[in-house]
Amino acid sequence: MTLVSVRRSRPGLLVLMLLTCTPAAADAQAPSSRLEGMWSDPPTTPEGLFCFFACTDAGLARLNGLLDDPANDARPFQELQAEAKGYEREYIRSLLTPAALKRYPFDPADDPGFLRCEPWGVARQIFAPHQIEIRQRGADRIELRYGEWDGRRTIDMDGRPRPANQGPTAMGHSVGRWDGETLVVDTSAVAANIIMLPDLQAMGEHSDQMRIVERYMRSKDADTLLLTATLEDPRTLREPLVLKKIWRWAPEQQITPYEDCERPAEFKKGARP
Amino acid sequence: MSAWRVSLYVLPVLALTAADARPHHAFSPVYDEKQLITVAGVVTEFRFVNPHAMLLMDVTDETGKAAPWVVEFAGRLNLSEFGWTAGSITPGERVTVTGNPTHTGSQRMFFRKLVRADGTELLPGNAQRLDAIDEQRRRRARERDQQK
Repeated sequence: MTLVSVRRSRPGLLVLMLLTCTPAAADAQAPSSRLEGMWSDPPTTPEGLFCFFACTDAGLARLNGLLDDPANDARPFQELQAEAKGYEREYIRSLLTPAALKRYPFDPADDPGFLRCEPWGVARQIFAPHQIEIRQRGADRIELRYGEWDGRRTIDMDGRPRPANQGPTAMGHSVGRWDGETLVVDTSAVAANIIMLPDLQAMGEHSDQMRIVERYMRSKDADTLLLTATLEDPRTLREPLVLKKIWRWAPEQQITPYEDCERPAEFKKGARP
Repeated sequence: MSAWRVSLYVLPVLALTAADARPHHAFSPVYDEKQLITVAGVVTEFRFVNPHAMLLMDVTDETGKAAPWVVEFAGRLNLSEFGWTAGSITPGERVTVTGNPTHTGSQRMFFRKLVRADGTELLPGNAQRLDAIDEQRRRRARERDQQK
């Protein structure tokens, strides 16, 4: 996937995803085999870096507009990216409820992952940088394992409902299904936690009413894994927020131990990135 | 901190910030991302671990007194994307390290650049990515100009 392909397929990455994903009937393999394996940091492209944590179509359109303008040829990509991310943050801000706006952006000094080495909840783990490993576990389960925090999620594929007595947890309850070769994961029962809106520079909080629908697709050239995630939370979001993310096929990568987190000996509140 | 061979300067507007190291949390509560400092010394240990790799080094001041410094990096998960290994920095090496200082001025920094005694450099992986993208953009701009 190149910048050129994104530019030609406006209005954005969603259209690109739809255009580049293989039709469901074109491959006799089990759908899971198209996604199974190790993926990691995105390809070195403008949209790859822009969506390193997550991005929106609005942000991508802004970035592409800046890149398309010859007047910006001399400006470093980092500057254009910062400008587009600023625009994207304002777009996301416009979707937040008044209650959520009171704590957006969240002071990074209050991040429990930073203060107490507390692993991320699912709403942040989904968009974690670096590795994601997808594995079929038996006939009815898929495991998603992440490099960051060595986080693991189990996706039930047999359609069983969430147990009535299961309350909200950090990773929530995820059920999945195949839509052709697209893995669709529906997650609910998520404990209130921190969320990147859309990255570590602009975090917010979500409630236990958060529901996330993830759609994972492999690109036609098989080199990238594309995620479209729709987030709904009536206490945080005035309308659904759609976030995108890209990974690169990376069979050479491995997930290494994540066991040396240290609580900070010194820090300053209110110091924004 | 002034007794140490430390140079302190304000970042150019477009210089990399710690955020570009793609860490697992924002570094702004600990490090001043608008400033850089440079220290020189001898490596005592390089911990190639997650979530943050750590370099321990002895920095000698003008009176010959050595003090321990800590240099914090992105994690092994991140660095391994760019070919770093536990042997990328070795104990006993003499190095000059540039990074973001802490807000308190303690003997600690967040890694931006390391220069070995032979002049070779280690840079954060994301700096390489940004350079590659700007090169792509320059190439496309030349192609566009040639088509006019």
